[in-house]
Amino acid sequence: MRRLAIITMGGVILAHGLASHALAQTPVGEPKAGRQKAGMCRTCHGIEGRARIPIAPHIGGENAAYLAHQLTAFRDGTRVHEMMSVVAKGLDDQAIADLSAWYAGQQVAASLPPGKEEAMAPEACISCHGAGGLATIEDAPHLAGENAIYIDTQLKAFRSGKRKHPVMSEIAVGLSDAEIRAVANWYAGTRIEIEPVK
Amino acid sequence: MKHLMSSVAALALAAGFAHAQTPDVPDNLEKLSNFQSTGTKEFTVIEQKGEYADGIKKNLERIKVPDGFKIGLYAIVPDARHMAVGPQGIVTFVGTRKDKVWAVTDRNKDRIADEVKDFAPSLTFSIPNGPCFSKDGFLYIAEQNRVLLFPAAEFFYESPDVAAFNLVKQGELVPSEHESFNHTARVCRIGPDGKAYISLGQPFNVAPAESLDEFKKWGIGGIIRINTDGTGREVYTYGVRNSVGHDFHPETGELWFTDNQVDGMGDDIPPGEINRQTAAGQNFGHPWYGGGSIRTKEYESEEPPADVVMPVAEMEAHAADLGMSFYTGSMFPERYKNAIFSAQHGSWNRTTPVGARVMVTFVDQEGKATSEPFAEGWMDENGEYLGRPVDVAQLRDGSLIVSDDLAGAVYRIWYEGN
Repeated sequence: MRRLAIITMGGVILAHGLASHALAQTPVGEPKAGRQKAGMCRTCHGIEGRARIPIAPHIGGENAAYLAHQLTAFRDGTRVHEMMSVVAKGLDDQAIADLSAWYAGQQVAASLPPGKEEAMAPEACISCHGAGGLATIEDAPHLAGENAIYIDTQLKAFRSGKRKHPVMSEIAVGLSDAEIRAVANWYAGTRIEIEPVK
Repeated sequence: MKHLMSSVAALALAAGFAHAQTPDVPDNLEKLSNFQSTGTKEFTVIEQKGEYADGIKKNLERIKVPDGFKIGLYAIVPDARHMAVGPQGIVTFVGTRKDKVWAVTDRNKDRIADEVKDFAPSLTFSIPNGPCFSKDGFLYIAEQNRVLLFPAAEFFYESPDVAAFNLVKQGELVPSEHESFNHTARVCRIGPDGKAYISLGQPFNVAPAESLDEFKKWGIGGIIRINTDGTGREVYTYGVRNSVGHDFHPETGELWFTDNQVDGMGDDIPPGEINRQTAAGQNFGHPWYGGGSIRTKEYESEEPPADVVMPVAEMEAHAADLGMSFYTGSMFPERYKNAIFSAQHGSWNRTTPVGARVMVTFVDQEGKATSEPFAEGWMDENGEYLGRPVDVAQLRDGSLIVSDDLAGAVYRIWYEGN
């Protein structure tokens, strides 16, 4: 466990470095302009960022730097998804900044279901993703209320190298299928609330 | 320990039942306790009344169906995907793209479900999208990378510990490095030959050249068939992008299937497809064709295979044709006999959304197919979805049920006449 904790701390610093580097290059996002552009996102992610289909994650209230980082990765081909790669190809830096600002501006809250306590949360995850699934650092996504299969898929992608991240690749490589599913089930069992948008 | 005991008892009972019914079960029978188990013994029961149900009923007032037809709420079923109606008419199983399979029961036979609860809650499912029944009551569930088999599921589903066997073991449906979440809504049907036909979507927008040989070997981007004792797996259909619905013609026994086509080529191309397969091993054109006769950019300089079979019906681009069923009931007017009912899930990134409706396709004597909307109105004036139909199945009385994974509901469409 000690080894994991050290990796995680190192990763936090590295991730921070990456995120601020990305921010320095990108234009300032306009939430209103982002809302206009979010028409192409809403069928899957919802206009407020609450997912409408199981293969899509909740993105409302996510850190803007994380969102911009992922959209850029989809556009550049360093992260690949059958749908997102198609969508991101058509986004310029301003559009990415606007969309990130719109979704980052949504109000999000997470809670544990009855009978679950923070102490039961998976130890390897909580320093970045929180026990209840709200991220504690810039470059990590919220995991609260995410579909178990979504988290399972991402962890396996980190483990196999299909998706890469300095911290997550290290953590995932040591996890068995059953451990991955247990982690996924923990966060899938937490609840997320994202305030609806009119 | 009690949990284990009851599993073993159920297994013994089911195995006995299975042998009595048919010898066609795999010989690698495994105890339920060998499967990854959550230890959960409590059912999740879905409330069928209240504000949520009332909201859906209100939305259904907007849905247009042909004269003489009616549509109503059959059940609240979260994330409802493909459906398998029990041959005894006792229960309908509904798959999801998450981790649950729902058992939907209409006990009082008023054609509205009165109980919806999760099936086999002690099992850990992964994308159990595709349930299907054999005529003799075996339930099959096609998951992301496993196919499970439940003997006499209609009788044993009331218990949280149901006897489960592997038709295809975890990790043996596709190589684990090709596991994905997208294009992994597998559909299962038992053919007139008694084999299980299972669709395997390929995970890309356009399948890359370096994967084609391996995909061909496994039937990824195709439909496979397998004997119900787990032997004789073969690829039946090639050149499919992502089929999420198939059925067999009631008279000819031929396999018909929908296929979802390539994204990112524009709002109006390529068309969606309904295909008809007349022989084993036919190739339906992906990745050389993006849909219909539209060539993909990635393969435009390559010569496509000469024997590619073109679709029987081209559907609206990006409308996402998913589940389909031939109509064999006697409730609907004569013209619907052997017609195809299919669900359009609706587009995800088209500038103006299309789809979110149930289509009917008539096939004439020459085999020419003509499609028209049958039930529509799940998109409001702002282009926002009120529902997204996924699959169409027939109840024993000849009425149709339609699943919707956005609203989390199953609707029923019946004919009353004028």
